[in-house]
Amino acid sequence: MEGHADLALAERCRHDAPGAFEQLYRQHAPRLFGLACRLVGRTEAEDLLQEIFLAAHRKMALYKGESSLGTWLFRLATNQCLDYLRSKRARLALLTDSMDREPGAPAAGAGAVVGVVDRLDLERALAALPPGCRAVFVLHDIEGCEHREIADALGVSDGTSKSQLHKARLRLRALLSAPALAPGRHS
Amino acid sequence: MTTCPDIQSRLSEFADGAVTDIERAAIERHLASCPACRDLLQDLHRIRRAAATLGPVAPPDHVWLQVAGQARLDRPDAPARATRIARTAAIGQWAGLAAALVLVTIGAHYFLNTVPAPETTPGNASATPSVEVIAEELGLAMQHYEKAITELEALAKSNSDALDAQMAETLRQNILTVNTAIDESRSALAQNPGSEPARESLFEALRRKVVVLQATVNLMNEMRKGNQTGAVEAAAAFSKKS
Repeated sequence: MEGHADLALAERCRHDAPGAFEQLYRQHAPRLFGLACRLVGRTEAEDLLQEIFLAAHRKMALYKGESSLGTWLFRLATNQCLDYLRSKRARLALLTDSMDREPGAPAAGAGAVVGVVDRLDLERALAALPPGCRAVFVLHDIEGCEHREIADALGVSDGTSKSQLHKARLRLRALLSAPALAPGRHS
Repeated sequence: MTTCPDIQSRLSEFADGAVTDIERAAIERHLASCPACRDLLQDLHRIRRAAATLGPVAPPDHVWLQVAGQARLDRPDAPARATRIARTAAIGQWAGLAAALVLVTIGAHYFLNTVPAPETTPGNASATPSVEVIAEELGLAMQHYEKAITELEALAKSNSDALDAQMAETLRQNILTVNTAIDESRSALAQNPGSEPARESLFEALRRKVVVLQATVNLMNEMRKGNQTGAVEAAAAFSKKS
């Protein structure tokens, strides 16, 4: 049923049917904006969200219904965000080339998270991660992607994706147990 | 695989359920007698659970307005639809509106491209603009900006019948928010005229205002079905010139 609905919506978008593209935007923009905010930061995310939907508008003819529209848009958005990081700052390319040479993650025993992890604290700590391991964490732990998919998107091996995820979690643990970000200590 | 470092390097995958049966048994034996590794595992689970709760984020209203406007411009047949007859007096207003937007952009670019960041490297003082120079350049950029805003606001007011009340209110709120940011940035810059972060903050706020005004233009495009094709063409022409 969802597949038929997606194909019908895509078809309406292709023909610029009134309200169709807005329906697509309203359905999917919040998830894609969340993804972009976490990958590139909120300010850039607004511009990127526009680019993502404009790219979708241009490429709608390529959507054949092999996956859901949500999955198709998510892939498009992930690639746009990663391309942005690569082209704009060349940081991700640098990091993906050198992910395995990155300075080691904090020692696993260096502090523990006390109590429940607050979402705001986690968002803040996430923003403090290096772009490479942040991308892996966002795609795996927040968006539920498999390591194989992440490795493909980033152009790294599965093993690098796994090790970066572990590093990201250890860094987050250290950040969340630091006084400035410890749960319940919002300024 | 019995030492803490060995075990800890595998705990993320253990937490994800992605280890073999043999590995899992070895890790579980270690955990039974190691509080530090148990603490780490508990924290990894907490972080995973918290991450799974981070959901969608609602984008600001103006983003859709920009997407809709740009999508319209993107249509291959958009310029072709414009008819000569449709270019009424309203086009003059739209051209003025687009020109004003270009002015705003030029003002911001002018400032960003002509005022270098304060150089902090010792011995390179000649490359460092003085506070007076920065203030002068900033003043010039602000003149461009304010002139454009004044024109834009007048034109938007004369076209206000194109907006429904709810949208007009949304845009008004966006403008108020960005005005507050501009005021705060100006205040910070007044206190420390040489501060690069303060300058960046101000121009980010100015950029946001341009974005909102562009959204206004796009929205009016949407609302004015009769005249919009000419407006699209005019805006596209100005965009190319800029």
